[in-house]
Amino acid sequence: MKKIPDKDILIFKSCLVSGEYPGVESSTKYLFDKLGVEYVLDERQSCCTGLGYYFDLFDQFSTTALAARNFAIAREIEHKNIATLCATCYAILKKACNILNENDTVRNRINQIFKDSKMDHMEYSPGDFDSHSNIFHAAEILWNKTAEIKEIPKIDLSNFKIASHHACHYCKVHYKEETIGNMRNPMIIEELAKTCGVETVDWYDHKRTTCGAGFRQRFANLDLSLSVTADKLLSLQENDVDILLHMCPNCQMQFDRYQPVIEKKLNTKFDLVHLNIAQFLALAMGADPYKVVGVQTHTVPLDNILERINQASPVVI
Amino acid sequence: MEIKTLKIGKKNNKLTESIIHDLRASEDIGVNKCIQCGMCTSVCPASRHSDYDSREIAKRVLEEDESVICDDIIWNCFSCYSCHSICPVGNSVAEIVQILRQKAIAQGKLEQVVTFLAFGESLMELGIGSIPLEYFNILIEIIGDEYLDIKINLDDIREELGLGKLTLPDDDTRDIKIILEKTGFTNRLEKLRAYKESNKNSKHKG
Repeated sequence: MKKIPDKDILIFKSCLVSGEYPGVESSTKYLFDKLGVEYVLDERQSCCTGLGYYFDLFDQFSTTALAARNFAIAREIEHKNIATLCATCYAILKKACNILNENDTVRNRINQIFKDSKMDHMEYSPGDFDSHSNIFHAAEILWNKTAEIKEIPKIDLSNFKIASHHACHYCKVHYKEETIGNMRNPMIIEELAKTCGVETVDWYDHKRTTCGAGFRQRFANLDLSLSVTADKLLSLQENDVDILLHMCPNCQMQFDRYQPVIEKKLNTKFDLVHLNIAQFLALAMGADPYKVVGVQTHTVPLDNILERINQASPVVI
Repeated sequence: MEIKTLKIGKKNNKLTESIIHDLRASEDIGVNKCIQCGMCTSVCPASRHSDYDSREIAKRVLEEDESVICDDIIWNCFSCYSCHSICPVGNSVAEIVQILRQKAIAQGKLEQVVTFLAFGESLMELGIGSIPLEYFNILIEIIGDEYLDIKINLDDIREELGLGKLTLPDDDTRDIKIILEKTGFTNRLEKLRAYKESNKNSKHKG
């Protein structure tokens, strides 16, 4: 089992969290504060390029060069434990880190670019970062604190049935040694949700299926994209799931933004809402839905869960 | 007698070798180890819902069938890595397809990427990528005006949530621009811009 840190953490900002569900970032900060996880954010950190990489617009070399720049920032502020909010940032950074450590030609070319641009301080030396022990998903940092989370008073949400969507770029890209638990049936989200005393659907047909965003497919091939999302929604409907918990803003966007579109297409109604695992835990701990959790940027209304929260106050479960 | 196995008697391995040594490929990618078991296809969302077939892509690559590069079907992959994570011999059709697409782009097949040009431009200007306007407009059309409202009020919402600025300081976007000029990315965007312009012109003439 990999060693998960709780200090010297750089929360790695994500373009889709920032622009679609900023409440994921504020909820993560809220939880880290409550759990005594020491972290910083840095305004200089750039986008990982991930969406562009999978739109086939970014080449691996340019993506790796920008990763080296972001690694240099984390090194300079002595917060070398990177916690991503997005599964694609997680996969992109791990790959870039491995290339920088192992491929001398690429590393030398990137370092030469830094030298020629008077950015010598950005130069990367082999072993500066280790993809295994320095790059994490924020959900893993939380999972490592499951025992502490259990102790924090929470609102009783046991009348909601929960399922997870673990995000392909978290569990399938660097699947060999990096995914916590069984990559064929990841349980990080369920184990975190269970701290709130809720019932979780630990396996459902299509649990491992992609959200359907497919990067370019959502935009250039919408029907194909939505047919995959529909597979998963129908399976969740069969299991009477109330809340689908996420760990990737791209997947969350696919389900939350397009669920009403698919409902119209299939002439059905999904009684299903979408939250990131950090948003869910923050809500359960009594965080303000609008000032911390950011429910105002969601498309599928969260009325049911907000009603429940308004009626109750946090207690030790 | 015709040789039926994929690899015995194979004389040319230009395509497979170029994929194996591509920077996008996992170091130990098992392209040549493929046994055509079809596990990849069995878990592939594109194979379930379209004419795309992961196993067939792996086969065509093994057969050195270069026509696969310009076959539009490769653009149906979701990059979900289901094939990659389930393959018993460490092959990765997901990575193969990404590399084939880069080869198609290098051969001038730009129509599949040109529509995403604005993501790159935004990353160069602001340090953060964004949804190209034409796709954003479609999103508003199908999701509704509430989605536009979220975007209009984003700065206020972020402030309410106690979050920092969405974009990077000017010094940093300048650095990013310099880096991306030297990696060749700027050049790539320029080619796409020229392609977009020439298409617009030919459409006008048409």
